[in-house]
Amino acid sequence: MVTRIIQLVLSPVIALVVAVLFLGLSRKIVARIHRRYGPPIYQPIIDVIRLMTQHSISHGALFELGVVFALAGSLVTVLFIPLGGTNAPPGSYPLAHGLLCPLSSSGGLLVVIYLMLFSPISIALGAGASANPNASIGVSRKMLLALAYELPFLLVILAIMSHYGTISIAEIVSRQQDSAWGVFSVPLAAVAAFLILPAMVGIRPFDVVGAPQEIASGPLVEYGGRYLALLTVQSGVHLFIVIALFVDLFLGGGVNVVTFLLKMFAVFLAAELVSAVLPRVRIENALKFCWTWPTGLALAQMIITVVSR
Amino acid sequence: MLPATTLIVAFASAGLVYLAGKVHARLRDLLAVLSSLVLVGLIGLGYGAWGELVYVPDFLGVELVLRLNLLAWFFAITVAAVVSLSTIFSLTYMRRKPSATFHYSTTLAVEGAMLGIVFAGDLLSFFIFWEIMSWSAYLLISCNRGRALDAGLKYIIMSLVGSCAMLIGLLAVYAGLGVLRIPLVAEGMQAASPGFVLLVLLTFGLAFGIKSAMVPLHTWLPDAHSEAASPFSAVLSGVLIKMGIYGFVLLMYAVVGLKLLLGLGSGWLSFHHVLCWLGAITVVIPTFIAVLQTDAKRLLAWSSIGQIGYIILGISFGTPLAFAGAIFHALNHAICKGLLFLAVGAVEHNTGGVRNLNDLGGLAKRMPVTFACALVAGLGLIGIPLTSGFVPKWLIYRTLIEEGHPFLALAALIGTWGAILYVYKLLHNIFLGQLPEKHNEVRCSPPSMRIPLLLFGLAILVFGVAPGIPLRAVQGIGATFGFAQLKVTLWGLASEAGALNMLNICFAIVIAFTAVFLLMRLGAKGPRVSQEDSYAAGSAVPVGRYSYTVDFYSPLSHMIAPYLKDRVDQFYYWLAARGREIADLTRRMYTGYAGTYVLYIVSFLALLIFLQLVWQIW
Amino acid sequence: MDRSQLAKWLKNPAEMANKYSLHAVYFCTGCGIIEIPPVITTRWDAERFGIKAVATPRQGNLFMITGYVSLKTLKAIIRTYEQMPDPKYTVAFGSCPINGGMYWDSYNTIKHLDKYIPVDGWIAGCMPRPEAVFIGVTHLWTLIDKGKADGYIRYRKNYAAYRRNQEMLFGDLGWPPLHPSESPAEEASV
Repeated sequence: MVTRIIQLVLSPVIALVVAVLFLGLSRKIVARIHRRYGPPIYQPIIDVIRLMTQHSISHGALFELGVVFALAGSLVTVLFIPLGGTNAPPGSYPLAHGLLCPLSSSGGLLVVIYLMLFSPISIALGAGASANPNASIGVSRKMLLALAYELPFLLVILAIMSHYGTISIAEIVSRQQDSAWGVFSVPLAAVAAFLILPAMVGIRPFDVVGAPQEIASGPLVEYGGRYLALLTVQSGVHLFIVIALFVDLFLGGGVNVVTFLLKMFAVFLAAELVSAVLPRVRIENALKFCWTWPTGLALAQMIITVVSR
Repeated sequence: MLPATTLIVAFASAGLVYLAGKVHARLRDLLAVLSSLVLVGLIGLGYGAWGELVYVPDFLGVELVLRLNLLAWFFAITVAAVVSLSTIFSLTYMRRKPSATFHYSTTLAVEGAMLGIVFAGDLLSFFIFWEIMSWSAYLLISCNRGRALDAGLKYIIMSLVGSCAMLIGLLAVYAGLGVLRIPLVAEGMQAASPGFVLLVLLTFGLAFGIKSAMVPLHTWLPDAHSEAASPFSAVLSGVLIKMGIYGFVLLMYAVVGLKLLLGLGSGWLSFHHVLCWLGAITVVIPTFIAVLQTDAKRLLAWSSIGQIGYIILGISFGTPLAFAGAIFHALNHAICKGLLFLAVGAVEHNTGGVRNLNDLGGLAKRMPVTFACALVAGLGLIGIPLTSGFVPKWLIYRTLIEEGHPFLALAALIGTWGAILYVYKLLHNIFLGQLPEKHNEVRCSPPSMRIPLLLFGLAILVFGVAPGIPLRAVQGIGATFGFAQLKVTLWGLASEAGALNMLNICFAIVIAFTAVFLLMRLGAKGPRVSQEDSYAAGSAVPVGRYSYTVDFYSPLSHMIAPYLKDRVDQFYYWLAARGREIADLTRRMYTGYAGTYVLYIVSFLALLIFLQLVWQIW
Repeated sequence: MDRSQLAKWLKNPAEMANKYSLHAVYFCTGCGIIEIPPVITTRWDAERFGIKAVATPRQGNLFMITGYVSLKTLKAIIRTYEQMPDPKYTVAFGSCPINGGMYWDSYNTIKHLDKYIPVDGWIAGCMPRPEAVFIGVTHLWTLIDKGKADGYIRYRKNYAAYRRNQEMLFGDLGWPPLHPSESPAEEASV
């Protein structure tokens, strides 16, 4: 019981800290690739504190509730994803500890996919309440981009669930720790998942949703002050969730939290390196891309999995 | 006896309401609402009861039976609840409309017919009530005149084709087995040949497929549901198409039986597998056609077809989880779609008949209760956790994945994303964005319109957090058909291979929401501003021209519209045109010239003489 | 970050955060905007100072007026300034906002920007080089530290006067007053 409560508090705290760290690191990495110094790594903390002191306008209750539900949904999703640790008997791995996943027995990967829907829908409703067509265009693009990456993402998830025969992420992680990592047993699905990772996170080349130059930040056009602070934190937590899922499904989780976070950092670095040098693609091209290469690879993987069983 | 009582009350009140309508409008309204609520109460009291009643001992050599069991009760309570809330809604919607009396009395007649269908204990009663439901629904659909007449005609023609097929099946059963009482037919089926079983399944299946709008038999639904009056659209989408589902369940599980059903055919070409795939196609294609619609009611109609696909997928898959998910989703869809049609009806009523999504916007400021309820219903349709749509979809996905059918699971999951797209389009174009000046004076709905919306919304949330309440009933129905027991708790499922606990999820969301809300309060507070104070690149907001509703998903529409033409509809119209041509050719037989008729007589006589000479028939 | 900075952070985090996170509204006034892309790109990296460009005034707290202000632009500047959330800082670049600069006798430009929106700091030049921009930013930090960068407070206190000046130029502005005054006497006296 006590461990449960500790885990329930620790998971979101880890998510928040690492989220803010990743946001700062992304700006630093991109800056270094541009051969400049860039802001300090703790710059997002400064931004969030500054935003919390600004008296920004509000367009009504739905405007504010959209933000609150988005961040709440993301934090709840973190509770369902294992953040390192293992279910193997103690002593099989050095420095291992029990699985850090408070609500692992309440639904599995399907619940995670559904809880990940809370934040886009909440932001969409809040942006709609801001009564600005830039926000509406941004939300329309957000929905379409989500549809674009959902098709290959679902194929990837289904290939994994068919391969391991379970819907529980904890089970998938322990099976990978026993045999081989996901990148080796379902390689095409791993490649497809990495191809759509920027789309799921919303970084270049798929940052068409919040395109500052085109649609004035899209859904965030009327959000400022404390709402923008919470949305910044939410985008970081969403980044955390997606990368944590990738590590759990394809890189075998981690025997303890530190290993897990190191693997997350590796995936994050790879995604940022790709994002730093690519331009933004249009939403039609994003749709076409996501529905050809990643879908093709994931479909091939699913056919191989179904046939080889 | 409960079924007989409810049927008598329903049909009698239909007649009484019609007569009361001639006397005074208020009396008629009161009588209609009272009788629908009495029906809800009567059926509610009958939970857990069983029984049979022979109400006509000898009708053309067959006895007609009514029966009550858990399956019948489940569908009956859904029918009664949706119709009663729709009637309460009609109090304001139908006020001062000339066809109000007709609407109330025919709705009660449709309800009586639907209750007759679920309470029927033999196939002939089933058929009789099915026919009554079909034509009374036709009368109500065509009530509005204009395009509704064409819509109604399409509906009744397709429905009649289905009814003829059902009649053929009925006669085949009577000729082959000699009995029509459902338990006796079930016994007879066990000994029948697979070909006979398949014939019965196909003929009845055609009728049920047409009524429940399965692809490729769905083409009547978009027109019919969008042209009917909104309260009746709620009944149509909510419960009328569930009668097709009830028929499928009755046919596949009560009559044919689980073992026989799964053993029919082999491997990929078995009956239930083909039906699964038809269900999967029904989920995907109409959902994306709904994304492209600009008329609010047409969007909801196409969405109904899509959600029915889930139910058909579930009931034809044949595992306990799939069956439970499908029946629960039938209840969930009835509530959500009923609410959405009523909400769109409220908007239509308050804005004076506008239902084109391109012309609306920003109504959440004027109709907040309607918006909140429509939001809950939309989320229930998508299947967000904490709404009643989550558990049935979770059950269906889980069983599809565990039984090793990932492609069916993919179709079902993509349907969810299509649902998110069209639900958001509906909510955004009606309730969010900028409020146009012409709708500035729209007032909030009166209580008689809000109460049904609120009750439906409450049901969605209650069944979402405590899904055990409907799951227990669904589980009981599954048990009567020979499915394995599911460990159902009040908050979800408790099986070893992956449990579901909605209470945990609910607590987590509530605590997270409170924490984030308090965090937000720590920040600096700013003023509330109106929609005129929005970012417009440094100029004042161009009032009336500052909203994005037309062509809402234009990149997607341009990509997929060529693939999503309703070719089935075009095919049926082509068939109708060929039929008209054949009839036209036949008409040319009548030339009006006496000489041709003499030629016909003489040549026929010559043919007879020829036959006699050559083959000596007589 | 050294220890003295840490003490300052703990004492007054709001002020420190406002200094080191100046998000500039990317509003391109006049000819001076050509100097801003070099400031925010790689060579003279402004992101080191915490300066970033944002697209919408709701998200920003620094407004840079980079050059001459024509009448048409002034209307957009006023609207954008009013849509920014408090606390916000305005910095005027070049000599045109100070006294008209090169366009001192033009019929279409504003000679004294300070009459219409409050300006916290000026950077002289025609146009200032990126190094001058950074010196200006560090001076703005000093002003924020001393509490002298209070343009938004002055705007609220003297709003009636500012609004009167704006309406003298434009007549009907097209949007209601941002800070409606509590008593008509206050409006008359300022």
